[in-house]
Parts: sequence; C-alpha cells; structure tokens
Amino acid sequence: MRLTLRALISHGRVARRMGLGPESRINMLRNILTGLVRHERIETTRVRADEVQFYAEKLIDYAKKGDTNEKSMKMADFWLTEKDLIPKLFKVLAPRFENQPSGYTRMARLPNRENLDRAAMAVIEYKGNPFPPLFPVKQDNELNLVNQLLKGYREEQAQLSATESKS
Amino acid sequence: MSLTGFVRFLRQSLQRLESDFIQAVGLDRSLGPALAVNGPSLLPQPNNSSEPSFLDSIFWMAVPKKRRTIEVNRCRRRNPNKMIKVKTNIEPCVQCGNLKLKHTLCGFCYEKIQKETSLIRRQIQNMEGRPLNTPAVETVVLFENETPGEADQGKRIVERSRKRPSWFNL
Repeated sequence: MRLTLRALISHGRVARRMGLGPESRINMLRNILTGLVRHERIETTRVRADEVQFYAEKLIDYAKKGDTNEKSMKMADFWLTEKDLIPKLFKVLAPRFENQPSGYTRMARLPNRENLDRAAMAVIEYKGNPFPPLFPVKQDNELNLVNQLLKGYREEQAQLSATESKS
Repeated sequence: MSLTGFVRFLRQSLQRLESDFIQAVGLDRSLGPALAVNGPSLLPQPNNSSEPSFLDSIFWMAVPKKRRTIEVNRCRRRNPNKMIKVKTNIEPCVQCGNLKLKHTLCGFCYEKIQKETSLIRRQIQNMEGRPLNTPAVETVVLFENETPGEADQGKRIVERSRKRPSWFNL
C-alpha cells in the first residue's frame, strides 16, 4: 500500500540537480566543458567533473563524425562558447582519439578544497594532454643497493654460464 | 519569561473582552442606578484582579520531571554514535610518503604537478599573445637541452627553461 508521496522521495533517481534549474545546469556544464577543451585539464568539484565527463566524451564522439557533418558542427557550436576552440576540437582532439572507441577522459579525485566549504574536488583531463601525468609511472632506480646487487648477481651468472658453455 | 508574560497578557485581554461584551449586552450589574438601600450595597464583583495561577492556565508545557544524573548524561554523550568515526582509508603516498586518502591523489604530489602545469600554461599564454587565439595543433613541452623528436613534428613546441623533472616523463 503506497503511504508516501512519490514526489518527495528520490530513491533511485540518477539525474542530478545542479544550479538553479535544468537550463542553469546545462549552461554551467557548457562553461566547464569549454574550459576543459581549452585547457585539457581542469579542477572542479567532484560532482561537476562527473557530470562533465559524460558530455566531454559525447562531444568527442560527435567530433569524430567529421567537420562536414551538420549535426556535429551544431553540437560543437552550442557546447563551445569560445569559437576558436571549434577548429581545435575537430583538428586536434578528434584525430587524437581516432583509434579509441571510448574513454577519452580521465577523472581523479583530489583532497578537499582548502576554503571554508571544504568542497570535494576532482581533476578531469583529456588523455594525451601535454602536461605532467597525474599518475606518475613507477620507475625503479638502478642506483639502489638492492638493484645493484641484483645486477651484479645477474652478471656473475651470465659469466659462469659463458665459461661453462666454452668448456 | 516572555512566555509567561504572553500568557498573562492573553488571559487579561480575554477577560477584558469578556467584560466589554457583558457591558455591551447589559448583563453587568455594577454600573446600574445605585438604589438607596441600607445594608450591604456591595454587589459581587467579578474576579478580575487575582493573579492567574499556573493551575488555571490553559497551556500545559512539557517539562523534565527529574534532573538527569551525570551517569545518564555520560551514557548519552559518550555513546559511539556521537563520537567521531575512525577513518581507515588513510595510507602513505608511494612517491613522497605524505599521508593521503585511498582513491584520492596525494596533495603534495599534485601541488608539484599543478605548479608545473601553471608555468607551462603561462608560457603558452605568452606564445599565443592575445586571448582566444588557440592554434589547431597539438602541443608538446620540451625542457632544457631537448630537441623535438620525429613524433613531435607538426606540433607547437612549448619551451621550459629548466631540467626535466623526474616525475614528468612520457
């Protein structure tokens, strides 16, 4: 028996509310997306980064269809408020992700903002950007003691096997 | 304090309304023509002047019956649901050793990356000159004593006048 008001409970609703309303949400996401296309790596709140990720990937999908496609051009024209980014989108970002089917963006969580609001932050970037990597590749240093000893051991083994094969 | 005053005010205004109504209707005997009678001419006065006691008050307010003992208070205040929860998702960063949350980037390492990124962006800004002047080519960052390789042909080169940091190699 339904005892509760459907409108007041939001169990299972996945659509997020941002800003002053749906139009405000789209405008906000448009600004963030323009910033992302311009700078290729931006820092925002976690929720905004999550929302923008979907739109960023869809924009690349449209851009991949090509410059001459009318729908793609309309989409790019709507979503990018700074019009000098439209050539960048079609000539730089679309060819970069030619061989990838999906997953053009990467989102990583950051520690909370230092302000009074302590907002949960995230950084979102297009893969293949020229900046330093967020997840640095772990490289073993050859000059460690352990690595030097292992290197010496390997060389000794190589020498022994060489002398054995000779004799 | 103001609540009891408010209650008193309400009660007095109600009584005033009541007496006004009675005078208007004419049921009030105290202002009638005074007859020359011997004897007690005192007519029973309506009981207006006595202070309204709390027992007559219409409002019954909820009030604690007994003082909460310190033992009971301690039980409530030190109950686990009021204590600060222990975080088990703190771990040291592999690169720098500072503490960080799991599934979150290390703040120290990200500071380094952020500073370098802002310096690169400043360089890009100088190269572009005016705002809204993005070229439609890829960008590559080269440090001191580095020459563009074959993969860097046709890309815009951003020069940084420092040695390549160990954490920036791709």
